[in-house]
Amino acid sequence: MIELMKFRNFKVLRDTQLPLSRFTLIVGPNGSGKSTAMQALRFVAQPGPFQFTQVATLGLLPTTTETVEVVLRWGVPHEGVVTTTHWGSGGWSRSHAKCSGANLSEREEQSLYMKLAGIRIYSLHTNAIAAPVGLSPNPELREDGGAFAGVLDQLRDREPERFEALNEELGRWLPEFDRILFDTPSSGHRAFLLRTRKGRHALPATDLSQGTLLALTILTLAYLPDPPPIVCLEEPDRGIHPRLLRHVQDALYRLSYPESVGEVRQPVQVLATTHSPYFLDLFKDHPEEIVIAHKVGQEARFERLSDQPAIAEMLGEAPLGEIWYSGILGGVPVES
Amino acid sequence: MKIAVLSESPADEAAIHVLIAGLLGRQTQPIEPSRQLRTRGWPAVLQVIPAELKRLHYYLTDTYAFAVVVDADNSPLHQSAHEAPGGEVAKCRLCQLRQVVAKTQNQLSPVPGRAPLQIAIGTAVPSIEAWYRCGLEPHINEITCLQNPQIGLDFHTRNQLKRYVYGTERPSLTLATQRAIEAAQCLVQSLSVLESLFPNGFGALARDVRCWTLG
Repeated sequence: MIELMKFRNFKVLRDTQLPLSRFTLIVGPNGSGKSTAMQALRFVAQPGPFQFTQVATLGLLPTTTETVEVVLRWGVPHEGVVTTTHWGSGGWSRSHAKCSGANLSEREEQSLYMKLAGIRIYSLHTNAIAAPVGLSPNPELREDGGAFAGVLDQLRDREPERFEALNEELGRWLPEFDRILFDTPSSGHRAFLLRTRKGRHALPATDLSQGTLLALTILTLAYLPDPPPIVCLEEPDRGIHPRLLRHVQDALYRLSYPESVGEVRQPVQVLATTHSPYFLDLFKDHPEEIVIAHKVGQEARFERLSDQPAIAEMLGEAPLGEIWYSGILGGVPVES
Repeated sequence: MKIAVLSESPADEAAIHVLIAGLLGRQTQPIEPSRQLRTRGWPAVLQVIPAELKRLHYYLTDTYAFAVVVDADNSPLHQSAHEAPGGEVAKCRLCQLRQVVAKTQNQLSPVPGRAPLQIAIGTAVPSIEAWYRCGLEPHINEITCLQNPQIGLDFHTRNQLKRYVYGTERPSLTLATQRAIEAAQCLVQSLSVLESLFPNGFGALARDVRCWTLG
């Protein structure tokens, strides 16, 4: 798990750090660095293709004194390990080191590499989710939600019990449906449909509402037997009715806290963003999971909600989302 | 007998139905799922109650009773002194709920054939999970909360209660509902113990329910 990300001169994140938990929800105004922090993970995982000017704060030139730096401090099972990525005039560099000064074993390096390579930053698009997919041996959910029908198809074939559990959960989220069905729209292609509970009509994915597609994708992600080790989700509440957000929270917690639902697998570190006060309400008992992104001029900085003094007294009786929306906690747009 | 229940989650509402059925000694029926309320926590409960009472009185006329149970969190605990005329305490949630219900009911016009809607109001101290652990966590009851109001504010205590009840601080809605119903079914066997440890929060609900004039 990544415990902390430190940024220097990385786009709008000039000098700040982002504390992370197994599950972290970032709230803040547009342009406050929420997505940029996620993007930084991608850049750290694959620093090569990016030039200094693509990662640096606007106006910063690649001089010898000014570099761009993203530091990841790892927690369990890599306690004490720090991954530092630099971009400067001479190109980029990435290194893993132990705070103690000891060398990392080849196995540890490999494990970190796998974690970084497994980072997925989902920004789901309904057209991609609903699109039929060409059959392939090991389909993986693409970051825009593409290949979804293939992922469902594979889950049904390889993990029928999970697929059944997914269908049951679908019925709780969206009681109007009772089952995921499949179709072969053309040779070598797979599409999915949802069957209505009443009348047993099969609705093609392309006819489903945007919210239904987004909810089903997040739900499925939580039921995958081997999800990515680090999952970033842009606005998992988007397009979903506020009353369904409790289920979305359950799905994300299923990823991060598999033991709470009897799953035997490594926890997934989840980093999500939201602009929804309704979604934020659900995390009132876990202020340590909330990070407020503040935008100060052209810079952004992060603050863990539980680090704000007297937070319990401040929240008092009001819904957390309401308190955030009001501006008491910061993390709101500046009005002209 | 159709009963509308308003609480902080569907899981809590399922448990409250079981408890009310236990208090009444007969089966009850929730209102249709599509008509069930959901609020965003305490202040919103107060705001929606007038509209809900009107809806139940004028439109959902086959609803026999309306029960509201909210977590007390860190609000002043309801006490018997609040029951005296003029003894209401402004920040006591039970007092506030009673006031808004009484005020709204006074504004309702009679509907031919509509029997008066029965009301029951309770508060769970500090949260409903404390009821589910009734007798199992000796330090969580109304008296200890009265002596230590910080309990209701403390994330640790609230999350610890969740751990005890659900086995995790982050129960899914499905798990929470299942455990809440199981706990309520156990509590129904010892409602007097629940009432003795939570005499004002649960006791108020129980007394209201017992006063319902059953048709």
